[in-house]
Amino acid sequence: MSAALLVEDLVKKFGTGKAAVDGVSFDVPAGEIVVLLGPSGCGKTTTLRCVAGLEHPTVGRISIGGRVVSEPQRGTLVSPRERDIGMVFQSYAVWPHMTVHQNVAYPLKYRRKNTSGSADIDTKVRETLELVGLGEYAQRPVTSLSGGQMQRVALARSLVYRPQLLLLDEPLSNLDSKLRIRLRDELRRILKMTGMTGLYVTHDQSEAVVLGDRIGVMKDGKLLQMAPPGEIYNRPADSFVANFTGAANVLKGKVLERKGEQAVIDLGAAGRIEAWTPQPLVAGDNAHVALRAENIRLGERGPANSFTGRVIERRYQGMQTIYDVEFGGQRVEVLELGTAARHNDGEVALTLPPDSCWAYRDEGQATVD
Amino acid sequence: MTATSAAALPVTTDAVPVARRLAVPLWIGALLVILTFLVIYPLLMLFFGAISDSNPVIDGFGKFNPSLTHFMAVLGNENVRLAFFNALVACGGGTVLAVVIGLAFSWIVVRTNTPFKGFIAGASMIPLFVPPLVAGVAWSILGSPKTGLLNTVLKWIGVDFRFDFYSMSGLILVFGFYYAPYVYMFTASALRNMDPSLEEASEVSGASAFTTLFTVTFPLIAPAILAGSLLSFVVMLGIYGIPAALGAPANISVLTTYIFKLTAWSPPLYNTAAAVAILLMVVTAIFVWAQQRVLSGRSFATVAGKAFRPRSLNLGPWRWLTFGLALAYLFIVVVLPTIALVIAAFRRFLFFKDFDAVFDTKAYSWVHFNSIFDNPLTMISIWNTMKVGVITAVVGGVLAFAIGYTINRTQAPGRKIIDLLSTIPVAIPGLVVGVAYLWAWIGLPGGLYGTIWILALAFVARFIPDTVKALSTSFMQIHRELEEAAWICGRGLLSTIATIMVPLARPGIVASMTLLFVLSVRELGSSLFLYTSDTTVMAVLLLDYYEGGNVGKTAAFSLVQTVILAVLLGITTWLSRGAAESSARAG
Repeated sequence: MSAALLVEDLVKKFGTGKAAVDGVSFDVPAGEIVVLLGPSGCGKTTTLRCVAGLEHPTVGRISIGGRVVSEPQRGTLVSPRERDIGMVFQSYAVWPHMTVHQNVAYPLKYRRKNTSGSADIDTKVRETLELVGLGEYAQRPVTSLSGGQMQRVALARSLVYRPQLLLLDEPLSNLDSKLRIRLRDELRRILKMTGMTGLYVTHDQSEAVVLGDRIGVMKDGKLLQMAPPGEIYNRPADSFVANFTGAANVLKGKVLERKGEQAVIDLGAAGRIEAWTPQPLVAGDNAHVALRAENIRLGERGPANSFTGRVIERRYQGMQTIYDVEFGGQRVEVLELGTAARHNDGEVALTLPPDSCWAYRDEGQATVD
Repeated sequence: MTATSAAALPVTTDAVPVARRLAVPLWIGALLVILTFLVIYPLLMLFFGAISDSNPVIDGFGKFNPSLTHFMAVLGNENVRLAFFNALVACGGGTVLAVVIGLAFSWIVVRTNTPFKGFIAGASMIPLFVPPLVAGVAWSILGSPKTGLLNTVLKWIGVDFRFDFYSMSGLILVFGFYYAPYVYMFTASALRNMDPSLEEASEVSGASAFTTLFTVTFPLIAPAILAGSLLSFVVMLGIYGIPAALGAPANISVLTTYIFKLTAWSPPLYNTAAAVAILLMVVTAIFVWAQQRVLSGRSFATVAGKAFRPRSLNLGPWRWLTFGLALAYLFIVVVLPTIALVIAAFRRFLFFKDFDAVFDTKAYSWVHFNSIFDNPLTMISIWNTMKVGVITAVVGGVLAFAIGYTINRTQAPGRKIIDLLSTIPVAIPGLVVGVAYLWAWIGLPGGLYGTIWILALAFVARFIPDTVKALSTSFMQIHRELEEAAWICGRGLLSTIATIMVPLARPGIVASMTLLFVLSVRELGSSLFLYTSDTTVMAVLLLDYYEGGNVGKTAAFSLVQTVILAVLLGITTWLSRGAAESSARAG
């Protein structure tokens, strides 16, 4: 039975330093998969471990399926084994002294509400191994498996007892890139098939987009935006979110005027640019405009935000070409898909569609690597 | 270092002068001769002694009547069998206890939030530095059935129970307590290197902490537990001091004490001693081999991908219980024996009328210390011990450097044999080294026997594997390219060693030499057969005092020895730290 997760005002401090998780609130409705995305050290793993009960929160309330499992203010703290959760670890954490079957059967054997007989255990283990595609491997020692197979064992082990909630802590980051893509797609299929509620932590945006029904972007212990992938990519609420999800071009300027969510920014020598903004900017504010390299159109004159620039450098990458383009003292990177590089060095027209230009208040620090 | 290894340098053959071409074979030959002289020759003599019935002292050197029947007769002897059985029981029981204590300790130190963990971890290593005979003496003062201090205390408080450490169970207890650190060293590092998510996965799966410990944690570090227990078994098997102090009064012989008893017979039964020594060596070798097999097998515990901090279990109020257990252990192995030695050393008579007598200052005096220092042998033994220690450290250090460099850094043919020869002594208990050296030199007129050199060379042979291993580790940390860069700069091999290897490996060299020094100061087993009254060393003299039956003098000399050892350890730690720091600054 999959159940909803509710996290309210979660704070976790280690020792006396800065809070690793600083007032995070979100919910995961039953059957949905939420991905926490952010750079290392942003507090996403700590949040997940607090939900698991492996870390003890400093403040805040966590409830799984309507039952409060952690509320330090009231002294509530349910141990991980009583939370009815499953967890997949980054390092797989399959037990090397057991076979595949023994690993997967372990939770069935040692859970407190153990009602299944050994025949029942065998059936469940077999079904789950089939589900993750390891039906043939039950009697192998886990140490003879590849990394991807070990991670499937770990997944089977956390699914076999149908927990209310499945936690996944960067489960794919130890795998090589090809395998990661394959397992990523399969993971979504399996999770959706079982109808499991999932909380998934990763630093890889492509994983987040494919797996998440919603994505929460975290930075410095704070949850910046929680929204469906399309919204994260097209309406980033924050300049960090924009940058982290790949809007690497930044144009600096001053706000001239704002109407609702539309703003006009003065870029100096380059002229004016229209942009969408989620923030209450006022005329005269320092602002920067973020946009993705693949949203800029080269060799086109659109109805708005059309400029004339110069290609400074061209980097052909086979399936795509990247151009460094300068216009009016501003410099942007442009990405065009296709195996042909269509533009030569020299003068070129470019259009920056207003819908893909996002303006944010300039607080001095704009870029993240 | 007198030769160069031309093979390691790319040179064309026709340009190489004869001297250079011969240098490598000469160098390897020299090392082989030295190792044969130190290790193989004494072992061969021991073997010949075991299968012949001629006495080297009476019949002179080189007269053998080899006959296997003699060896078989020794193995069939009832006393030998009893000593063998006793050794297995005492060391087996001791190992079981050592595993329980060592495992509990490593869990407390690595996996819990027990207060003062760092202190506990450091202090629990102290038993490693206590000479076995001193531990044996202290526990005979505490636990002898009639006059033992523990029993005196029990009488005062009116408890009917009496300890008897002059027994098999006494032996097992003292073995287990003092050799637990060997198990601890292996299991603690295995626990530390274990990916904590392996345990977390079990917890999330719904298993209790207790179930997790026995189904995940301990099975995962099983290789480390096995390796640690095999090592502690081997060490116990070769120990002479503890069974001599605690077993002898109850007539319990183990292999080591039985071998010594044979040579103390009149006339000495050197052949029988050699045969039993071979038996002891074979048993030891089997266990050492098993331990190496376990260690070379794949370790389960270290399969994590990312760096992690070890999990620390919050024990809540129970952490004071674990803290109490740790303190109790330290009390038993360090505090209690020290108190016993101090009381026995400073009291004129070890008899207490009642509890108040403990604080009767008139009963305390320096009389035992005066009496041991009135004995000229005391100063001679201290002086000899220092001389032997220095010779062992210098000769052993230089030899280990030469061997370590040849094995690790050159392609010279024959280095595999050198590696093998220098590893053999791992499987030879100190006492067997002593018997072998006795056989090798006692019949040779004008030889080493009766000089302190025979002690030093026996120690060098006994400890060469440890020293080479320690040095090899520090060689491995120096990248080959550092040397190659010096060669490219036009330096020769010797000059490269002198200007690159020696300075960079200095902390390792200093540490190995100080280790050798400390080991040889406390070595008893191999000294037993090699000393004469002029060349007696502290450990042997202490045994003399103990067997003389004067508890006060024994305790006093134990304290003297402990203090000297502690001071030496302090100085050497300070020296090697200085070396490490100065090289860190240079690097």
